[in-house]
Amino acid sequence: MNGYSNDELMTVLLARELRNEDLAVTGASSLVPVAACLLAQIMHAPDLTLITPAGVVNPAPSRLYRSASDGRWVEGAEAIGTAYDLFEMSENGRLDVMFYGGVQIDRRGNINLTGTGYGADGRPQFRGPGLANTSFAVVSKRILLFSAAHTPRTFVEKVEFLTAAGHLNGPGDRERLGITTEGPVVCVTPLVTFEFDAEKCMQVRSIHPGVDPDDVVRNTGFPLHPASWPRTDAPTSEELTMLRRFVDPSGELSV
Amino acid sequence: MTIDSKADADKPTRRSKLTSLTDAMTRVEAGQLVALGGLWFHNNPCAAVRELARRKIRDLRIVAAPPSSYAVDLLIGAGCVSHATVGHVSFEHLGFAPNFRRAAQEGAVRIVDADEATILGGLMATVEHLDSHPVTSVKGTDICRSPAAPRNRDAVVAPLAMRPDVCILHAQEADRYGNVRSLGTPFCDPLFAKASQYVIVTVDRIVDNDSIRTQPHRTTIPGYLVDAVVEAPFGAHPCSSHGVHVHDEAYIRSYIKAGASADTWNRDFLAPYVEAPTSLEDYVDRVGGATRILELSEVVR
Repeated sequence: MNGYSNDELMTVLLARELRNEDLAVTGASSLVPVAACLLAQIMHAPDLTLITPAGVVNPAPSRLYRSASDGRWVEGAEAIGTAYDLFEMSENGRLDVMFYGGVQIDRRGNINLTGTGYGADGRPQFRGPGLANTSFAVVSKRILLFSAAHTPRTFVEKVEFLTAAGHLNGPGDRERLGITTEGPVVCVTPLVTFEFDAEKCMQVRSIHPGVDPDDVVRNTGFPLHPASWPRTDAPTSEELTMLRRFVDPSGELSV
Repeated sequence: MTIDSKADADKPTRRSKLTSLTDAMTRVEAGQLVALGGLWFHNNPCAAVRELARRKIRDLRIVAAPPSSYAVDLLIGAGCVSHATVGHVSFEHLGFAPNFRRAAQEGAVRIVDADEATILGGLMATVEHLDSHPVTSVKGTDICRSPAAPRNRDAVVAPLAMRPDVCILHAQEADRYGNVRSLGTPFCDPLFAKASQYVIVTVDRIVDNDSIRTQPHRTTIPGYLVDAVVEAPFGAHPCSSHGVHVHDEAYIRSYIKAGASADTWNRDFLAPYVEAPTSLEDYVDRVGGATRILELSEVVR
């Protein structure tokens, strides 16, 4: 193996996407993005502000907790916001970065967390969990997508229910609705980092160390430009050391 | 000298809002709109919703914090709900909300797809005394086609004022006058309290009014917003009660498993944990006792 887990890899890669002074908000089941924010604060973005979905501002936990709103994130944090504070950001767009994953993610970066297999009666064959905040996809300056599953069922041509807006039907669509933010900029999976081309379609920006390009094509439900994709820079020993020593000493990301 | 001790015997005394769980829940009737507090599987009013399930209240319309979990799923599973206005319902990394999922797939409950802006916008319209509250950030999604997201004259999504008949919350501490102190995140609970007609709060412990007065800045919901307070130690189990105990991961896993079908749900959940317990104390014993719950922080990741 590579000497790191998929979650550790995705954490390091997402951390590299974060900038100093970003205000970043995380969602449900967000162990990886939260860890990425905490790692970025240590590595290169000391002024990054992290807000968890429970409204906890800049938590400084002694270890990671698997539930995004576990009460133990509160201890040592700088402030506790309420839902009203999240509403303020939903409308005013104060945040720079939002992380989203999906039951389905389509080639335009649209997210479905609501359901699949809708019949004529409007009922889904599979009802997903839904999404607490869809506004952040509209108002966050950029969106970082991530998915622990890289399968043709997850990465689809078009989402069956559009829960959170990516690039909608293509270039210019966000602007037509009066959306002024950039939308999804990358999507990190255990196989690749995707970016969006001029047509706002997901393409491989880099393929992770040790991954076979055929596996990427086979596991992606939409066409990709055939190319010799650059390799992702593997996590450095410094990144892994900082992550394991200061962010995740109990090894939540390595199991 | 405190306010309490100043009272003369011949003067009226301040009204205590302390009541029993059973009495408080008689306030909830079929057809009402009920708001459920907490977020995900944290700070949910679990003992209260089990009492509603035990009493087989029907046709409730429910609304919960945009990220919700156990309280929503249990009431749906117990057949108490006709409409659910929800954003996200899950047990996060532990699994899907089984009864919510089954009811949505079978069409047994009307699911109104909403999110933070539409739910909070509806509550804020009520507290601002408006008919609706425009939310400009709900754009481009299929949520915009939901009944939770009607358009106003300017074609902007403007959720209608939402005024729950009853709001049920769980917090960690309160005095008998209803001054509530959340030890973790209060999240939507204060807004639910302001927007609802009748507010019931269960708490892990009742504290003296003097204790509230020593740290008034820590009161998250003042007593004037609260109608009934119930002392319900571990009333949030199997959810966490922030600052008192963490969630019960093993129990939640068995809950999710029980929810796989109506048969297993009745046999493995409703019978042993809703119908059989004679009191909250008895329930706590049946799930392993107070000491076990308090020690969960040692094992829950």
